[in-house]
Amino acid sequence: MTSTSPVGDVRPAALVAAGLAKSFGAVRALRDVSLEFPAGQVTGLLGENGAGKSTLIRLCSGQMQPDSGRLVLDGREVSFGSPLEAIAAGVVVVNQEPLLISELTIADNLFLYDLGERPAYGRAQRGRNVQRARELLARLQMADYLPDPSTICRNLSAASRQMVDIVRALSRQPKVLFLDEPNSSLTHEESERLFAVMGRLRDEGVAVVLVSHRLAEVYSIVDNVIVLRDGAFVAAGPPAEIDQQRAVALMAGERKSKVVSEVVADRTPASRQAEVALELAGLTGEGFTDVSFAVHKGEIVGMAGLVGAGRTEIAEAVIGLRPVNRGRISLGDRPVHIGNPGRAQRLGVAYVAEERRTEVFHAQDVGYNLVVRILSNLGRLGWVSGRRAANQARELAQRFGVKAASTQAPITSLSGGNQQKVLLARALAARPRVLILDEPTRGVDVGTKAEIYATLRALAHDEGLAVWFISSELEEVVELADRVVVVRNGRLTLDAPNTAGPTPIVAAAMGATEGTE
Amino acid sequence: MKATVAQRQDRSWKDGALSLVKRQETGLLGVIIVLALLVSLANENFLRTDNLYNVLQTVVVVGIIAVGQTFVLISKEIDLSVGSVLALSAVSAGAAYGNGVNPWLAMAIGIGVGALAGFAVGSVVVLGRVSSFIVTLGMLSIARGLTQLLTGGLPQSMPSELSFIGQGRVFGGIPVSVIIFLVLVVLGQLLLTRTVFGLRVTAIGDNDAAARTGGIPVGRTRILTFVLIGTLAGVAGIVFATQVGVAEAQAGMGYELDVIAAAVIGGASLSGGRGSIIGAFLGACLLGVLRNAFILLALSPFLQQLSIGLVIVLAALFDQWRQGNLRHLSPARLRQRLVARQKKA
Repeated sequence: MTSTSPVGDVRPAALVAAGLAKSFGAVRALRDVSLEFPAGQVTGLLGENGAGKSTLIRLCSGQMQPDSGRLVLDGREVSFGSPLEAIAAGVVVVNQEPLLISELTIADNLFLYDLGERPAYGRAQRGRNVQRARELLARLQMADYLPDPSTICRNLSAASRQMVDIVRALSRQPKVLFLDEPNSSLTHEESERLFAVMGRLRDEGVAVVLVSHRLAEVYSIVDNVIVLRDGAFVAAGPPAEIDQQRAVALMAGERKSKVVSEVVADRTPASRQAEVALELAGLTGEGFTDVSFAVHKGEIVGMAGLVGAGRTEIAEAVIGLRPVNRGRISLGDRPVHIGNPGRAQRLGVAYVAEERRTEVFHAQDVGYNLVVRILSNLGRLGWVSGRRAANQARELAQRFGVKAASTQAPITSLSGGNQQKVLLARALAARPRVLILDEPTRGVDVGTKAEIYATLRALAHDEGLAVWFISSELEEVVELADRVVVVRNGRLTLDAPNTAGPTPIVAAAMGATEGTE
Repeated sequence: MKATVAQRQDRSWKDGALSLVKRQETGLLGVIIVLALLVSLANENFLRTDNLYNVLQTVVVVGIIAVGQTFVLISKEIDLSVGSVLALSAVSAGAAYGNGVNPWLAMAIGIGVGALAGFAVGSVVVLGRVSSFIVTLGMLSIARGLTQLLTGGLPQSMPSELSFIGQGRVFGGIPVSVIIFLVLVVLGQLLLTRTVFGLRVTAIGDNDAAARTGGIPVGRTRILTFVLIGTLAGVAGIVFATQVGVAEAQAGMGYELDVIAAAVIGGASLSGGRGSIIGAFLGACLLGVLRNAFILLALSPFLQQLSIGLVIVLAALFDQWRQGNLRHLSPARLRQRLVARQKKA
């Protein structure tokens, strides 16, 4: 394949897909999809979970073979037997989860594909790689975005890992660049950096395709949007034609467009009850210092801040997963010592951790995943009644709207959104008084997001549950929280009712209101 | 309309049948039955009741420990020390009896020593965060060494009061040891699927981190699984020693491999979270039937060793197939790849 520079090579459409179809057994993941990704433009690929976006990307990049249909790259029909062939032809994918080798340096990871070509891979080569990496970063004007290329990847933040993957993709001089949820683990500021890079690529004539659930951010950059639903092409056009409201309606189909608008309308501030459910006073531990705030009964507190600011650490300390060096945790008005998550649960504090993929019990069925935290309540003397477990699982699945063939279906057969609902139901099964959620809707589609918001609101405002959620999505914090706390460098920088909109939150998270650093 | 309903019924029946075939236990049972029929064609003695009891009796020792090993494998650990712990338990019981202890108490001491060895292993694994492969490799040697020290290499005679455990028969010829084995299998299956402990073992093996966040006492549960397998190795040691009447320092040498094989053939996954006690029972039975068949058919013992190895690998492959991990080898996939290659050429 030729490896001409994409610069100045402006063509109407870099990649054209015609009649692509793909089935997995009885499931038709993609049916007869025809669309084009124009060169020199950013195309937003929109759709709910399961709409076929990931399948489309895999077919376009040689990770899977289509059952039928054609691909045309720069006017020539192509067929990629493997991702490497696609990369050689200029079709590169940045995945949601960057695939880096943790024990190698950034530089080595950037030039990973060269490894096989150089049998004498030694110390000298490593030094050269670091040098090449510096040159590459300088050429891409991205040197400030990453630590020094000689850094080992093991300790990189999620954002930096993502950036390494993106730089690696750019080093292949792509004609077509797919970004699959590249910013789901990035904060607002980091996303903006990424979008600046995407803008530059567009100007260089690359066809950039962006998949993301953060609509507002997508709309800040795209020239085109394409909407998929249930594996079929629905609409394409410039953002002026398909605005956000319309895109949401198209993605959801007729069934859900109403729910979303309802959610936007339902912004009644909570009647704040005086009773404190959870209070932190001067809490200090590894990664956070002197954190004090309270979550009241019936209140939803949103915790914002940059990734790595120490939000997860605070939650994990409260739940007993991390040691607390100083400070006090109180439940109600009673100071407590929470040494481990089991005790936290018995005291009425439930926790839903950040990563869905690492939180489900993969080899088990839906029912097991629902009741695993309340096994001791399902029988006596250490026995678990199968009937009670099954009933409890069915009840939980129903109450939280988990869509599954049955509670005996494998958990992995559920969509991401439904798995998230299972995790929520699992935490609430023990009937906690305080619910702590870390990134409750990451990578979840619009419809499920609305359902989760509605559930949390009902639980807090109607049943008096105290909810504390951590989120990197500004829209989510502004929309869902009754009160906002912001963490920056392990310290609380804002604690205020959620009435002032996003601006003070961003300011507190970035340190704009603080003179000291 | 009618046609589609009929078709659907047809399919659901097929799906049901397929899912039944896809269960490791059913597959194993089928293999055992087919094997038994084939062997009985060649030698009609095979299907005689006393031969079948013989087969079961030979797998009792390995089978009892395989129940415990299944728990350990499900918790994503492994225990290589079971053969040595078996010997240590048996010899401890024998030595206690030789020093004038009541036979029943001697038996309890033997089993207790096994439990203690398991507790030691579990504590080091959990508190010292050392891989169980290494710790039990150490225990394999430690327990064997202790056995030699304790006996000076001499066999210890077992109390004759206990010989019914290994040699007795009840209800018209059913060996007592086989009944003990079957009871332990049933209890083990209940413990795994119907108790808080068993379901927690599944949780920590499937996803250690999620189990911890979920409030499951991960360390305690893990230590208990090692206590369980140690106890069962102790029981197996008593059964083994009462079968022959003496406890030898060399008893149970190399049994760990048979035990792991039985558990894995039964569907236990080395990556944790999956396994079945009934499966381990059937796995042990399959090994026993194979061994018996080779004796009855007077085939070379080398061939026996080879075929047992093959069975282990085939069982693991079958497990991969039913997990859907072999789809890349389906004819459609292979054809696709071939076409793609030709196109390129």
